[in-house]
Amino acid sequence: MNSARVIGVSKKFGNVTALHHLDLQIGQGEFVALLGPSGCGKTTLLRLLAGFESPTSGEIWINNECVASAAKRKPPEERRIGMVFQSFALWPHLTVYENVAFPLQHQQQVPEAYKQNPKARVAQMLEMVGLGGMEERFPSQLSGGQKQRVALARAIVFNPTLLLMDEPLSSLDAELRMQMRKEIQFIHRELGTSIVYVTHDQSEALAMADRIVVMKGGRVEQAGTPHDIYYAPESPFVAKFVGRANFLKGNWAAANTFLLEKQGASSLPITVSRDFSAFFDQQVLPVRPDQLKLSVWHQGSDGIMGKVAHVQFQGRELIYSIRVGEEEWEVVTDISERFAYDDSVLVSICV
Amino acid sequence: MASNWQTVVSERQMGERRKFAASLSMDKAATWFVLVPVAFFFVYPLWKLIVLSIQTEAGLGLHYFQEVLVNARTWDAVGHTVLAAGISTVISVVVGVALAWLCAYTDIRWKGAIHAFALLPLLIPSYVMTLAWTQLAGPQGVLNRAASWVMGSPVELWNVYGLDGIIVVMGLTHYPLVYMLTLSVLYRIPKELEWAAHSSGASARAVFAKVTLPLALPGIAGGGLLAFISGLDNFGIPAFLGIPENISVLSTLIYEEVIGFGPSAFARAAVLSVLLGVIALAGTGMQWVLLRKSRVDQTSAEDKSIRRSLGKHRLTAEVLVGGFLLVTSLLPLLSMAATAFVKAYGLPFVPENLTWKHFAFVMFDHAGTKGAIGNSLMLASMTGVLCVVAGTLFAYWRIHKPSALGKAMEGAVALPYALPGMVLGLAMILTWIEPIPGWQPGIYGTVWLIMIAYVTRFLILQVKSSTVSIMQVGKEVEEAARINGGRFWTRWRRILLPLYAPGMATGLFLVFLTAFTELTISSLLWSSGSETIGVVIFSFEQAGSTTYSTALSTLIVGAILLVLAAGSLWKRYWQRRIEQ
Repeated sequence: MNSARVIGVSKKFGNVTALHHLDLQIGQGEFVALLGPSGCGKTTLLRLLAGFESPTSGEIWINNECVASAAKRKPPEERRIGMVFQSFALWPHLTVYENVAFPLQHQQQVPEAYKQNPKARVAQMLEMVGLGGMEERFPSQLSGGQKQRVALARAIVFNPTLLLMDEPLSSLDAELRMQMRKEIQFIHRELGTSIVYVTHDQSEALAMADRIVVMKGGRVEQAGTPHDIYYAPESPFVAKFVGRANFLKGNWAAANTFLLEKQGASSLPITVSRDFSAFFDQQVLPVRPDQLKLSVWHQGSDGIMGKVAHVQFQGRELIYSIRVGEEEWEVVTDISERFAYDDSVLVSICV
Repeated sequence: MASNWQTVVSERQMGERRKFAASLSMDKAATWFVLVPVAFFFVYPLWKLIVLSIQTEAGLGLHYFQEVLVNARTWDAVGHTVLAAGISTVISVVVGVALAWLCAYTDIRWKGAIHAFALLPLLIPSYVMTLAWTQLAGPQGVLNRAASWVMGSPVELWNVYGLDGIIVVMGLTHYPLVYMLTLSVLYRIPKELEWAAHSSGASARAVFAKVTLPLALPGIAGGGLLAFISGLDNFGIPAFLGIPENISVLSTLIYEEVIGFGPSAFARAAVLSVLLGVIALAGTGMQWVLLRKSRVDQTSAEDKSIRRSLGKHRLTAEVLVGGFLLVTSLLPLLSMAATAFVKAYGLPFVPENLTWKHFAFVMFDHAGTKGAIGNSLMLASMTGVLCVVAGTLFAYWRIHKPSALGKAMEGAVALPYALPGMVLGLAMILTWIEPIPGWQPGIYGTVWLIMIAYVTRFLILQVKSSTVSIMQVGKEVEEAARINGGRFWTRWRRILLPLYAPGMATGLFLVFLTAFTELTISSLLWSSGSETIGVVIFSFEQAGSTTYSTALSTLIVGAILLVLAAGSLWKRYWQRRIEQ
């Protein structure tokens, strides 16, 4: 059974088409991340699921009910969805308790036990997000991370089957973001709620999602597990947007053989094992920075020679920019062997 | 937990009561619902006014324009109007900018008190302030009596009656407009811009001349134009100081035409109104353009830190500012109160001459005053309530459904406030005697016409105040209520109204206070039984009953100060709760 289905949905704002005939299914209990640059339509899709916008064409189904089509729209207040907003959207004039208890009073089909004893339910939720005993505070008395936890508690207090999250971590600092990832994973595990998570931060999507949907220009560019998206990007855009990628120039001699351009000539054959057909057009081979290895260049070695153009020390790793002919490749290595600026290095490709 | 999803889903499918949200046709209906009243209440009266000015017995024509424009009295009034508004604007700009700079940038002390005193002239009606000035600097005023006592023989140091008095009082009444706009611009100039100039070698003077002043100029100019427009609009000051000396400005000339009731009086008044209206609208247009051109980002955060230390000049500045504020706002009011307490006008202010009887008279004995206080209270409350409901809904609609049409309608709602009150008053008479051919609602001469005029004129104040609050509350705050099951009434009751309350209350206070003490429109529209407080004070003054007019004015000032104190306490309490 699906928690939500998006069937052939298009959305136009005036002359601008934000979504092009898009299909998407969210399985029960699945954590789906919508990933893409700003303007790719991911937020529009989320707002369509929530019910704040109507599709121009197509249908949206939630829990086996058609909630929106071009002709009609079920308003958000009747959809029984949990949502965490980018700005948290806590009500500043209500206490933490009143904020979290609001859905229990107004949401549909709240389990009777919660309705009878909202205090206990709110306390349980606050405990779960690590804010036990803070019921009487006002949002203005909380830190950013605490506000985010209250927003989370409010979104899940009534046991929604679907939880929408709109870049929920983007207004937190780096350290807090890492911590909140774990909390969100924990909540997903505990409640088994389906989650649709909008983000432009690929590392968030890779870290938490069961499935990543990469979007670009209102279309799905690629959907798959984090592992597939990272290691088997199906388009140059995905390769570049998720993780970093060097596009090595050359040409495809066969489906599994790439001839790397070397000093102007296609001379160095590289054999690949997976399907790279999406890159045939541009005649490039996408290589992650960690798929390149550096070693000491000896005079007369056979292979690719590069020169170190920049070195950035990052603690547990080093980021090199290696000049190879006209190109500059980004290489990430551990710190066991270090090269200095202007060193000559041998670059090997491990795809 | 998984088990109750199943029940949820099945229950949901059984309850097949699907309600779907507003479709396109509802949106359209809402648009018409706003458009029709706006057109009828705000645009139609001005149309009527223009039509009357060009309607002659022989059809449409400029006959009345010709008649009015060849009249020397018209040109006298135009000259006085431009002189009064123009020179008073210069005074307003000098005082307003100096005060704003001192408050925004320097380490002068008692800023809160300075700010409160500087805003006082906006909150106390100008005719009350004028009355107060006549008690300070009239021929029998405190100033001239003190001078005579010092000199030992009767001397007249300065007489506030006349054009010079109009100019000075007008300037001192309108400088808060310049002060406020300049203050807000100065706070928003990033201090890094000034530091960058300093570190590039500019002296303090050069920084002010080359960075601060150019950046603040649109705000200053906008404030100056606002002061100018207010000068054109003002009726109370020239009515109190000019009419006794036979000096007319356009607003008082229109008033005299209308109450003079000669043949074709309305038509000539309409012509004058069109003239005055065009000048005022040109000013408003220029002000609007200037404010749009402002290069200081209105949304950037206010920086209230001290940027300049006055050093050894601080005490001097404080004494000067304090002295200025005391002399221009407190002293006139005290002089007025003093007059209200003496047994007969002109007696010295000594214990055996003091009495409460004027206060008792205006509060309990004089039927007209009692009626007027009742009328003004009723008018102000009704206008306030109508405006707070209509204005907040309009602002909400305007912000959440932005469109070119919405913008145009906001312009239409702003029109009656941008026009001089006298012009609107006349337009109201012309419209509501017979709004639609064949329908005479019979409200001309009743308090209801005054109320319609007030709502028409003051609605924009509420729209603006509510807009500030509505803009501050992010869209997501309401969406969070929707997604959590909050239906329309729940959302307004539990989330939106409490959050919009500060802006709504500010607007309500502003509309209430303005309507409570309004003079210009009611001086045209009143008739026996529908007097307002402003009309009664004006009538007392015209009849020479200065002790009664000062007593009533003193009571009004006291009431205003009480309302303001209560309001600011409430606002402080409420804001502390929701401050982010």
